[in-house]
Amino acid sequence: MRVAIVGCGKIADGHVEQLRATGRGEVVAVCDREPLMAEQLAVRFGIPRQYTDLARMLAEVKPDVVHIATPPDSHLVLGRLCLDAGCHVFMEKPFALTEAQSRELLDHAARLNLQLGVNYLYNYEPPGLELEQLLASHALGEIVHLDTSYGYNLAGDYGLAVMSDPGHWVHRLPGKLFHNVLDHVLAKVVPFLDDELEVQALAFRRRDPIGSDIVDAMPDELRFMLRSGQVTVSGTVTAHARPVPHQLKVLGTLDSVELDYTARTLVHSARWAQPSALGRLFPAWVQARQYRRNARRNLRLFRRHEYHYFQCMRVLLNRFYDAVQGKGPAPIPPEQILRVTRIIDRIVAAL
Amino acid sequence: MKVLLTGSAGFLGRRIARSLLQQGVTDLRLLVRSQPPAGLVAELQRDFPAAGIEVVSANLLLAGSLPALLQGVDTVVHAAAGMKGAAADMFANTVVASRNVFAAAGAAGVRRVVLISSFSVYRTFELRRGALLADDTALEPVGADKGPYGYAKTRQEHLLAEYRRQFGFETVVLRPGVIYGPGGGALSPRVGLKVMGWFVSLGGGALLPLTYVENCADAVALAALRAPDGASFSVVDDDLPTCRAYLRAYRRSVQRLRVIPLPRFAFRLAAAWMLRYHRRSKGQLPAVFTPFTLRSMFTPLRYTNQGLKALGWRPAVATAEGMKRTFAWLRQQPR
Repeated sequence: MRVAIVGCGKIADGHVEQLRATGRGEVVAVCDREPLMAEQLAVRFGIPRQYTDLARMLAEVKPDVVHIATPPDSHLVLGRLCLDAGCHVFMEKPFALTEAQSRELLDHAARLNLQLGVNYLYNYEPPGLELEQLLASHALGEIVHLDTSYGYNLAGDYGLAVMSDPGHWVHRLPGKLFHNVLDHVLAKVVPFLDDELEVQALAFRRRDPIGSDIVDAMPDELRFMLRSGQVTVSGTVTAHARPVPHQLKVLGTLDSVELDYTARTLVHSARWAQPSALGRLFPAWVQARQYRRNARRNLRLFRRHEYHYFQCMRVLLNRFYDAVQGKGPAPIPPEQILRVTRIIDRIVAAL
Repeated sequence: MKVLLTGSAGFLGRRIARSLLQQGVTDLRLLVRSQPPAGLVAELQRDFPAAGIEVVSANLLLAGSLPALLQGVDTVVHAAAGMKGAAADMFANTVVASRNVFAAAGAAGVRRVVLISSFSVYRTFELRRGALLADDTALEPVGADKGPYGYAKTRQEHLLAEYRRQFGFETVVLRPGVIYGPGGGALSPRVGLKVMGWFVSLGGGALLPLTYVENCADAVALAALRAPDGASFSVVDDDLPTCRAYLRAYRRSVQRLRVIPLPRFAFRLAAAWMLRYHRRSKGQLPAVFTPFTLRSMFTPLRYTNQGLKALGWRPAVATAEGMKRTFAWLRQQPR
């Protein structure tokens, strides 16, 4: 399949590398309104054609699929343009600025019978895939509660770019910093929710001010609570907790599990099955055995070359391209994309 | 004569500001991205009371803010560059930002643009062991094989040449080796890398092309004011140590390290294996070194600073003293 990339910033590297690793398509052109950025991606990856005008690229290259990796305030316009040109679209997160924009894009894709995917990649990490199997076999029973946490290092490369540049696009998002990461936080929990939701949220700036009105207006700690029928979700987005967290706890009526996406582990919560103090000697050993099992699984994946930093994106892209070729369902159903953006709207409104 | 200095808040930039004033600049505009380091301007103004020093802030990625800042400027010293981050970020902060500076300088009628480049732009792959890396050594045609930093700096130099042809301004280019000093990094990758609690010594007996930050700043200021149009200089100090000697002094003065020396043949094998594994595993591990980067970065070479010395530059801080000051500062840093 002929694939084009729009938006040649740093995440575009991930799209090109992972697509190549899957072997599902050939990147034939890149496009960025800044010609030097289009040039650098084309040169570093040996991509034959580069453009600064998307309409021209679509007309000349006629790609089957376009990956859109631009800031989210451009997704609606660019997405429509690509869909109108008959291209399937794989969108970088955040999917769009609002639920209304998301609905417009998804409806448009459905009308044209084209696939419109989104890079909600973490559900396809090894522990995420293991959770998928547990849920398919109903091993956890009914889901009672989920606790999701996601860290953001403001001293890291990306955090520094946001902190040092009041003109960075993150500051233009309705939910600022959180808007850029909530897709990852919520994509893990929306399969357990329906569209009737209660939302509570609070946010604040924990760091010291630096004297820039725009940068200082950006909160960096978020807590939220969702309730959908019998299921509740608590969420944390933090810029200060260390180690930088990226975890999910799933509490079920039969069993509960804890996923660590950084360590790539899934462990079942400890059970206290034996009486007295003696009984409390065993759980730590049982947990140790679970971690050993995780370590062996990860080593196996590494030896099979299936343990790349963005391995989850490879799995997601394979499923997305299966859907494009009619070999499977869309990996992320449109209603889940809509639900994510709706919850983000509600969280932003609650702040 | 008004001089505009970009990257004024940086490790090298703040020293260049002082050197420019020491060498007679009386009208200096310091361009910073957000705010200058605390006390910098006050100290400069105290030491050079007759000079006019102003601070302006701008994001070089936003071209619209630059024309006003270049009004009345005679010489631009462009020291700002992306030093870290993802490849695309480094490229944007180095190349796109430079394009905006060069275009704005050309449009504003700036007489001279002085660029702080890097050793990484030299085409060193073809140089044999013991060859001399000189001011006129050929540049990489593209530089993408040198990694994100080398690619960005190479494209930046080619861009300068393009804008020189377009606008006709004068150019001077300085290509420092390893800039070191208080406030800088501890151990250049040319010396080796920290890996899982060990330090793998890679440089061995090759000369380490050091330039102490104040010496480098003096060279920049001198070349900005006195070098002929079109000149380019590699910047290294005298009495360069070998990588091995530098590492030994570092371990003695700053920090005990568990060192694994990697002989050159083993390094060659490791680099070839890394590249093969990177390809076979579809990028599961990065090719930190390749046979190309090994030959480009680690072939033992000789270096010269005769071009700068012909201008009258002398390294004011001897290498032994520079290392002493640097190690004293590093010793006080938390680890």
